[in-house]
Amino acid sequence: MVSSLRHDMLLFTTLLTAWLPFLSFVLIIIFTRRHPRLSSSLSITAVSVSMLGAVVLLMAGGDMAFPIQYTAKWLISGDIFIPFGFLLDPTSLLMLTLVAVISFLVQIYSLGYMAGDPGLSRYYAFQSLFAWAMMSLSLSSSMLQLYVFWELVGLSSYLLIGFWYEKFSATQAGKKAFVMTRLGDMAFFLGLLVVLQNFGNLNIPEMNSPELATRISPALMALSALLVFGGIVGKSAQFPLLTWLPDAMEGPTPVSALLHSATMVAAGVFLFARLFPFFSYSAGAMTIFLAIGTISMLLASTMAMVDRDIKRVWAYSTISQLGFMIMGLAAGSFFAGTFHLTTHAAFKALLFLCSGVWIHQYKTNDMFQVGRLGGRGLKVPVACIIVAAAALAGLPPLSGFFSKEAVMASLAAMDNPVWLIAGLVGAFLTSYYAFRLVFIILFPKKIETVHHEEQVGGQHSLAHYWVMAWPLIILAGITLILGFFQSSLEDFLVGHSVSEGHRGGQHGWLLFVTMGLSFCGVGLAWLEFGRRGSPQVGFLERIPRLKGLFAERWYLDHVYGRFVHDVIDGFFSKLSTRNDQQIIDGGIDGLSRFTLGSGRVLSFLQSGLLRHNLFFVFAVIAVVALYFLLV
Amino acid sequence: MDIELASFPYLSSILMSCVLGLLVILFVPEERRVLIKWVSLVFSGVAMLLSVYLFFAYDKTQGGLQFVEKVLWVKSLGIQYFNGADGFNLPLILLTGIVHFTAVLTMWELEKRVKEFFALSFVLVAGVFGFFMSLDLFFLFVWFDVSLFPMFPLIAIWGTTRKEYGAMKLFLYLLAGSAMVLPAIIYLFVKSGLNTLDLVALMQPGTFTPFQQKFAFIFLYLGFGILAGVWPFHTWSPVGHVAAPTSVSMIHAGVLMKVGAFGVLRVAIFLCPEGWRYWSELMALLAAIGIVYGALVALSQTDLKYVIGYSSVSHMGIVGLGLSTLSVEGLNGAVFQMFAHGIMTALLFSSVGYIYDKTHTKMIPELGGMSKVMPVASGYFIVGALAGMGVPVLAPFWAEVMVFISSLKVYPVRGVLAISALLVSALFMLRLVQRTFYGERNERFAHLPDVSFGLGIPRMILVAVLILFGLFPWLMLDLIQTSAIPLVESLF
Repeated sequence: MVSSLRHDMLLFTTLLTAWLPFLSFVLIIIFTRRHPRLSSSLSITAVSVSMLGAVVLLMAGGDMAFPIQYTAKWLISGDIFIPFGFLLDPTSLLMLTLVAVISFLVQIYSLGYMAGDPGLSRYYAFQSLFAWAMMSLSLSSSMLQLYVFWELVGLSSYLLIGFWYEKFSATQAGKKAFVMTRLGDMAFFLGLLVVLQNFGNLNIPEMNSPELATRISPALMALSALLVFGGIVGKSAQFPLLTWLPDAMEGPTPVSALLHSATMVAAGVFLFARLFPFFSYSAGAMTIFLAIGTISMLLASTMAMVDRDIKRVWAYSTISQLGFMIMGLAAGSFFAGTFHLTTHAAFKALLFLCSGVWIHQYKTNDMFQVGRLGGRGLKVPVACIIVAAAALAGLPPLSGFFSKEAVMASLAAMDNPVWLIAGLVGAFLTSYYAFRLVFIILFPKKIETVHHEEQVGGQHSLAHYWVMAWPLIILAGITLILGFFQSSLEDFLVGHSVSEGHRGGQHGWLLFVTMGLSFCGVGLAWLEFGRRGSPQVGFLERIPRLKGLFAERWYLDHVYGRFVHDVIDGFFSKLSTRNDQQIIDGGIDGLSRFTLGSGRVLSFLQSGLLRHNLFFVFAVIAVVALYFLLV
Repeated sequence: MDIELASFPYLSSILMSCVLGLLVILFVPEERRVLIKWVSLVFSGVAMLLSVYLFFAYDKTQGGLQFVEKVLWVKSLGIQYFNGADGFNLPLILLTGIVHFTAVLTMWELEKRVKEFFALSFVLVAGVFGFFMSLDLFFLFVWFDVSLFPMFPLIAIWGTTRKEYGAMKLFLYLLAGSAMVLPAIIYLFVKSGLNTLDLVALMQPGTFTPFQQKFAFIFLYLGFGILAGVWPFHTWSPVGHVAAPTSVSMIHAGVLMKVGAFGVLRVAIFLCPEGWRYWSELMALLAAIGIVYGALVALSQTDLKYVIGYSSVSHMGIVGLGLSTLSVEGLNGAVFQMFAHGIMTALLFSSVGYIYDKTHTKMIPELGGMSKVMPVASGYFIVGALAGMGVPVLAPFWAEVMVFISSLKVYPVRGVLAISALLVSALFMLRLVQRTFYGERNERFAHLPDVSFGLGIPRMILVAVLILFGLFPWLMLDLIQTSAIPLVESLF
């Protein structure tokens, strides 16, 4: 009795948490479109209740018997049964909390960042839609339901990336994001259909159960795992579908913060974690995932090393860190990947939000420009970005350090040392590009004099500054302490902390190597950009060819542009259109011309002249007579 | 028993409300335009409400034919006035009710020859309603032709781009379809030897030999398929859509193309299941080609209505693919797609209609930045475009999922081909949205008003329907299944 009441409460909380933002989306679109203040308060109220709900669920989660699943009928068609439901287990609860907290902070921050924007209501409506889609995604109990919300997450990011739709580059970026992720989603959908046909079920716990491996042949398992992974490649912007993410920073900065930390791109890695047992049944596929994660991590790091645009550097860094998470997961460590996803969400959101303060203040994305205009004058973002960059670089005692170590340990456990070496190279590159940016902003070579009142602005702008500063401080706090919760998180996620022992024992040296490399990266950045009299020219810029390659994103964009322009538009579409106009339609028009023409020819017979008529009568009689004579 | 009537003739009442609407309009003087519009609105509203009632009143646990009305009409030929509702035609009756009502509202600002326009619309819609509900081959054919003939004047008089050409082309194509259907019906009537045109009696197994079924099926399939825009007999449809005035485009793409698809289901598949099985490979092939081809051609169009027209070819291909799978899911998906596509294209054409009315252009390069000028009108179009891309929470998504699931099982290669069109359709829809609605505020049209609340009502209804069935797909699928399961079971 008590437990049923408790379950009812649990279900109610879950429903409330996931669906309140949807309610706020609907209300804003229908009623409060013209009242931006009301819209923003509606959306923030909804997301704060969701956040509370998520935290309550997470807290209550400690002593629950997982997984808890609620399902109701959604759709039955022939043999296909698709339930709608919630799946509560450590993975989903952790993700839910992550999404709710980051969404909440971003929405608060947006009050300052987006103040005065004419589309504020629309902005908050889309934010609510985004929060709803992402939270429901993490709670989904069947893969088809997850796919539905997966697509909705894609839709909301399309809408938010292209939020400033007057800007051509923004709409272009939104479109690119949607189409590129759609490419991955098609593979994902096909993969699901393969599983559905051969297993007859898309329920997540059942897909993860060992029973699956006995029902499906290994080849099909590998095929479906690879196809489903296609969706992850698209969503998490992994190689080769990675070029949409850097463009996606055309959206407002808080949107980038959301997109790059807890939603959208995180959905991909979350899916990997969600179906971790399913993926790990096919070892061959896992190796491919590991390779893709590694390539993405290294490629994106190189791109980040030469860019001047603050947001774009963080975007590359997101790709690279997501690759790193996938490496961890593909190396077989569920916890390492998930833990890095969690810590990354906090510090990446922090990085974007800090940069947003400068971008808002100085109206430029160029890091040299921000430094020159006196970026270091803004104390809160300066302090916070140092914390976040250190976490990104994996310096102790910040959260990133712990999660990076966990991933490294899982890589070190692999037989092939290549992956570990790649990971270490990545760690070096990461700390280099992170601190390159920090030093450029902190130690500009020449400071342009900026009027003080302009710098912090009037009373109004000061208020905005503090609205934006508070979320930064909270996130920095989270980044500082999250690492110390490693073992309790591990306990929560995996049920026991196994790796505790052998992490220290077997690979004790690894800790120091990783740390050393990270500090080397920071040191190199200091030499080139930080110290007094430094040239502020990276070593890569002295090799123009390499710099060109990195700055042009390894020419991946050119390939895609060519593909769409030449192959789809220039060949297939043109061919079909020409065929339509000239062959199919032309054939029909030709037929009608023929009919008209033959009618015209025949009409000569009806000239009305007696001699023609007589001739015709004679001819017919002759033909008939001939026929009878011959037959 | 010659007469068999339901407690209240709901189905005939739907027909009667169209006929009455027509008669009342004929007696209203030409100058009283507003009155004519109100009369149309009221009678189309009654038809819509009745169709909504029937949709929900149908007893799903019992299944089968309900609300039957049967009156013997010509005994010597076995012609009956025989109407009935089942899981296949109820969604389409509902669709017709909604689309006609919203079409009347969309044309609220019409000034040119109002009386004739609304009168002809009623004739058209009465034909469509009759076709969907009739279960007698003679009446089916008569209603089929009744729904075709008003298209010619409607396009030729009120149309726009190359209207005479478009009207003529459309009319000839549809007539050709009709000319293929009629001999097939007569052939079946003669071969059955039952001296009846009652569809239920004729569909008893064993009535026709397999050869007869195969022979008749291909005629019926192609004849009705022309109207459904089956590749390669589709070229009339984009031309016709473009030439037609807004509400006619809505009815044409939203409802009339479904008449074709429904004809394939109701006549060809019901009467000739062996033929269905025999020709299903061909159906799947044409459908899969149509899906990809339509999307590819849409990619290179510059006229808004042409883009939607070709996307309709692509989306109707999904209906064809679903019908070709010989499975419950496929049939479910196909019928659901007929409904969902009807609502979606009605929304798209209705929104384009507003933009065209105000700007007098539907060329994409001349537009651009319309979101700043008319945000609400643009919003409606964008929802329609999202539905066209198969975004979840909007009805077409579920229909497509059903069809893809079933088709991949039966025709893996064609199924993958069809799924790959999802990418192309996302590309052309987003491109269209970007070029038409996004970008700097369009100064040339900056003075134009946004859609008013009243004129927004039809679009609101359509959006609400899309979302309703997108959130609760079982509302539709449970109903369709009551007919799909027995049909497939009777076959295998």
